Amino acid sequence: MSVARPAARSLFLRRLVSVAGATAASTITAPAPSRSAPPTTTCHQFHSSAKLAARRRSRFTNVRAVEMGLMNEEKVNEFTKETFPRYTPAEIAELRKVYSKEQLAAIQAGEAAIDAKDLTIQGRLRVDPYRMPYIDDFSHNLPVVDKRVKRNPPPNPDARFMNLDEFTQDMINWADKFRKGDVTGTLKKLQDFAPQEWRNKNEGQWPGDVRKKAQASFMAYLEAEAVKKPADVEAESHNGPTDADFLEYILERSSMTDKNQIGNSSLALALPHKVPGVAGKYKQAVDPEDHGLDDTGVYQELKKRTGMSVREILNLQNKVLVHRFVSNQTRMGKIASHSVLCIAGNGNGWLGIGEAKSTDNGIATQQAKIMAVRNMRPIRRYENRTIFGNVEEKVGAAVVRLYTRPPGFGLRVSHKIFEMCRAAGIQDLASKFVRSRNPMNTVKAAFNALVNQPDPEEIAIGRGKKFVDVRKVYYGGNVL
Amino acid sequence: MGIHSVANACAHLQNASRARLGLTSLPNTKYNLMLALAMHRAGFLSSVTRGGPHPPPPEALLSYEEPEPVTNENVATRRIWVGLKYWDNQPVLKKVQAISKPSRLVTADFKELSRVTRGFPAGMLKGLSLGECLFLSTDRGVLEAREALEKKVGGLLLCRAS
Repeated sequence: MSVARPAARSLFLRRLVSVAGATAASTITAPAPSRSAPPTTTCHQFHSSAKLAARRRSRFTNVRAVEMGLMNEEKVNEFTKETFPRYTPAEIAELRKVYSKEQLAAIQAGEAAIDAKDLTIQGRLRVDPYRMPYIDDFSHNLPVVDKRVKRNPPPNPDARFMNLDEFTQDMINWADKFRKGDVTGTLKKLQDFAPQEWRNKNEGQWPGDVRKKAQASFMAYLEAEAVKKPADVEAESHNGPTDADFLEYILERSSMTDKNQIGNSSLALALPHKVPGVAGKYKQAVDPEDHGLDDTGVYQELKKRTGMSVREILNLQNKVLVHRFVSNQTRMGKIASHSVLCIAGNGNGWLGIGEAKSTDNGIATQQAKIMAVRNMRPIRRYENRTIFGNVEEKVGAAVVRLYTRPPGFGLRVSHKIFEMCRAAGIQDLASKFVRSRNPMNTVKAAFNALVNQPDPEEIAIGRGKKFVDVRKVYYGGNVL
Repeated sequence: MGIHSVANACAHLQNASRARLGLTSLPNTKYNLMLALAMHRAGFLSSVTRGGPHPPPPEALLSYEEPEPVTNENVATRRIWVGLKYWDNQPVLKKVQAISKPSRLVTADFKELSRVTRGFPAGMLKGLSLGECLFLSTDRGVLEAREALEKKVGGLLLCRAS
């Protein structure tokens, strides 16, 4: 409304002015010319922006495509023919060497599906930011982008290791490659010394004198050949396999019945997950002393390290005391892991703590338990129920104080230290966290405190005193 | 008799022990001498010898020799030389903490002392823990808490050592 109203008003005013002018003129002079003359008042714009002085023109003149000849049918065809020529028969023959018949048919079908003229008119190399990162007509193999070319057929799944006969034959085949002329052909056979009528028959059918005669002359011939040979040996050695050939035979010749087929990978073929012939016929080498408790072999190394049997290891008390989700910030993103602190104890004066981290919770827990068993230390206990004296230990900002307590006091400690005491076999204890209560650090500090108890015997030795525990003197020593 | 020298001696003994010194010296005061002898009786020190500004020869540490008489000329240079003990790579005297200071003297009577020695707190005084000793000044000289209990005396608490 705010824009339309002044516009309407100006239109109205213009109309009024022209009418008024006409009436005034008619009263004074002849009215004819004033009717056709345009009104002299300035025309209002229908928008609020500033009016341009003149119509805007580009400072640069354009050339039309027709004038350049780009729309010319002949020129388009000429360009198409030059830039996108069809395959020549020679090129097709060349392609046939590289591609299989089906692949070549696919290539030709693809070529036929695209009109070369369309490529000329519409085909553009993209320059926008969202273009594909490479230009590819699939004529070259780009190792970064493309998959590796597999030039050889897949390995024969039925291939097996050669037996002695096959191996010998394979070796002869290999050696035959280096034979110049017919080596064995130069040597005559026994048959050659027999009379003509017996030559085609088996040696066993020959009469005795014929056979003897033939053998005698054959032996004489062989001896003569053997004398003659050494002179030729040197000449023949140039024709035989070189050291490189021998090395290639030893290193690269396939020992399987796949006719020395070359694989696509330099790695040996992996065995299938379950080898067909032997699946279920073999067992893992586990110690029979384990009584089948550790078929997966998890505790085998631990068994060696600690000298405990698997049953003893499994009978230890385990408890996960601290479980944290931790993450490693890498350029690929956050890698979340489970960090587990576990204790292990035999309930009779041995305790250990173990830490482990893994992306898998089960693995982390299992590893932490193993580490806890490995780290088991003897915990000195007074009367097998409490600790010697009061201990204070500090890990980080966590300060743990443990206090020795009389019989029947119980475990008035935090739940984590309670579990540690239960695993270590301590029944009377009090504790206090003076500063930080960080779970992991308090557990570590409590473990250190349990390990580093003062030893009254050592103190007595250091001071040169005789040490007597009066609890063992009173009551006739009937205290625990 | 002020006890500032005892408080200083406590701090010095702890520092010397942590620095793994074998022989160190204290100012020659009667209080220091009595405390050093009490500690020697308790087994914290290997030797207590009166001497001058230089450490006495080793043979003087292990046997009694008549010390040089104290005169007006040499009184300022007299020292008490104490030998420190170590066992199993650890100092025998790990911690010495003065209780009384000149501005605040702390005493304990026989009853309090008997509680403290059994490991229970008595008033502001915490009970003795494993291997801890309490030295106090009584009218029978400077004694360890157990000695004082035997003699049924209390007194001015000097320091606790462990």
